[in-house]
Amino acid sequence: MMSRNNIKIFPGAMVCEESKLRGDITIGSGTIVHPSAVIIAEAGPIIIGDWCLIEEQVKIVHRLPFDQQSNENSQPVLIIGSNNVFEVDCIVEAPKIGNNNVFESKCFVGNKVTISNGCTIGAGCKITDEQILPENVIIFGVNCQMREGLDRPGPQTLQMETLSKMLPNYHHIKKPNMKKE
Amino acid sequence: MAYITGPDVVKYACTCGLLKPITHLYFCRYCTQIRCSFCVCHEIDSNFCGKCSENIPSSEARLKKNRCGNCYVCPSCQQDLSTRIASKGSANPEEAKSTPKKMYYLLCQFCRWSSRDVGIPDQSTVTGGWPKRENVHANRLQELVDSYKAIILASKKHQQDKEKKKRVKCLSYTDRTGVTAAAIRKRLGLPADMTHPMLKNRPKNPEPAKAKSEVEDLPDSIFTEPLNLAEIMSIEQRLLQPEQQPTTVDKLFPVHKQLSIKRSLRCRSCEHNVSKPEYNPNSVKFKIQLFAYYIIPEIRIVTVEPLRSGKTSELIVKFTNPTQHQTTITFFELDLDEVESVVTEEVAEVAESFEQSLYLQEKQQLSLPSLGSLSQPSSLLASRTPSITVKPRRIKEDLNCKIGIPESSFILLPRDDAAEYDDSGDSHNIQDDPKLVKWRKSNKAFIRLYVTPNEDLPLNSEVTCGFVMQHIYTNTITSKVENKEPQQYNHKVKVFLTLGNSVGCD
Ligand SMILES: [Zn+2]
Ligand SMILES: [Zn+2]
Ligand SMILES: [Zn+2]
Ligand SMILES: [Zn+2]
Repeated sequence: MMSRNNIKIFPGAMVCEESKLRGDITIGSGTIVHPSAVIIAEAGPIIIGDWCLIEEQVKIVHRLPFDQQSNENSQPVLIIGSNNVFEVDCIVEAPKIGNNNVFESKCFVGNKVTISNGCTIGAGCKITDEQILPENVIIFGVNCQMREGLDRPGPQTLQMETLSKMLPNYHHIKKPNMKKE
Repeated sequence: MAYITGPDVVKYACTCGLLKPITHLYFCRYCTQIRCSFCVCHEIDSNFCGKCSENIPSSEARLKKNRCGNCYVCPSCQQDLSTRIASKGSANPEEAKSTPKKMYYLLCQFCRWSSRDVGIPDQSTVTGGWPKRENVHANRLQELVDSYKAIILASKKHQQDKEKKKRVKCLSYTDRTGVTAAAIRKRLGLPADMTHPMLKNRPKNPEPAKAKSEVEDLPDSIFTEPLNLAEIMSIEQRLLQPEQQPTTVDKLFPVHKQLSIKRSLRCRSCEHNVSKPEYNPNSVKFKIQLFAYYIIPEIRIVTVEPLRSGKTSELIVKFTNPTQHQTTITFFELDLDEVESVVTEEVAEVAESFEQSLYLQEKQQLSLPSLGSLSQPSSLLASRTPSITVKPRRIKEDLNCKIGIPESSFILLPRDDAAEYDDSGDSHNIQDDPKLVKWRKSNKAFIRLYVTPNEDLPLNSEVTCGFVMQHIYTNTITSKVENKEPQQYNHKVKVFLTLGNSVGCD
């Protein structure tokens, strides 16, 4: 099912050569992918929006739940919006992700959880039950407590600026192969 | 520490009779006895705030209800709140060019709760005059506190009066000139006034709380509208604000951070400290740390052969000498009944010496002018008298396994921190009993023992054995002061090993 790698990188994106990208993946401009990040488009293409930050050891996997896997003809697309932050060592298998979400370190999001906009999945939180997270929801603590935030988490502009200056000094960057729309 | 030494399969018996892993024990070098947290005095050295690291005097801490005046914790998740700067441009466009006004708000980095969530306005100073919540029950609480304080005062006064009366009584018997009604009353044993002095001085009682039988009906909406759990506080959140105990999250207000304490531990028998932290809140070091882990050889189970009831298995244990002095380890049979008798003897001894010191003190007071040679040892004794004698309890541990007590003893070399980096190999020339010592390296020795679980032991039950370890404790206090050779004592410790579950015969 997993055919050849087809990686589309828009200008301005910074995808490190050492990152592991499998399948049909589109990466929007301004997005940073760290060297040991893993993105696997197993069930269908993955489209990542602009200005996302994908840190070390992050795993983004497009994998359908078992009960939907039998339908071989359909190729659902995993669309990840803009300004999402995937912190170190988080595993995200969500079928749909909006904008301005933060996945904190070592969190796990199962493939039945749809993420809307402005959500924060706290460090180490595991969410697997089938649900659609409403906007600006914050999940935190050992018991995955949930609360509604006032607004979306702030963008990591400063951090991304620094990274885009630093990363090319130490890593090979994949050349963009797409033209600006 | 727990992950290095745990699970607690090796336990040492404290002098009081409790079994604990070595990391939980102290060793009083004045009594040369093991102490644990249950048989030492806990004293609060200082109160401090864990966030701003400020020491707060105990009187002030009490006044502030043991909370820091400047630091807050998140009402949502109880983590420390941090102050955030929000620069706000002035509303006046002409002033906008000048420095923007700095405003501060509180933010929780963990759950992203912020003071703006509940509509607390941003403050213009860092420490911020964050609005104080009025306690609706403040008056009632004050009323109760006042009335109890008054009761204490009254009872104190009553006590004083009683003492005064006693003195007066003595006088009235000697002085028979002025016989008044009050004096007669007194002599008859009646109180001077018909109303009890406790009652007389007592302020008016606070209004008693009344239970209500009529409770407001639940609003209809509770049955019809879907419940939004995100809006309702959790029990932990409610209990964090006991005065208000609000139910909805829009009333989550920042809570002052609770203070932490530094505490020192004092041996109850000799009143010397066994643990005393440094005063500085930023320091994690100790001024005094008589932890058993640094004094008593540590025992760890290395391997044990499968345990079968009635069959002998080989057990390898590792001994580590934590001290700078060579020690000799000898094994003795453990007899729990004997243990008790020894312990009671000791207590009797201590009590005797205590009585003796009292007697000496009395003697000294009687013959005050003669401050001779006798007074000195008595005062010394008095300073060492036990404040509280802890009666040791019998060790409650079922031993279901015999352990072969080796007849020979072995030597443990002193600890040498440099030995770890020394690759030249072991150059010790110790004549070891090869049957007992399997292997040794620097301050460690691997000892071979033989254990035999009881014949009647059912399958899959936990096997526990015990022995008495005698090691040489080198006391360095006296040698430092008097420049003498360090004193050496034979110190015995009861050690209990949990070896795992018994298996069937093969
Ligand atoms: Zn104890
Ligand atoms: Zn503080
Ligand atoms: Zn919080
Ligand atoms: Zn002591």
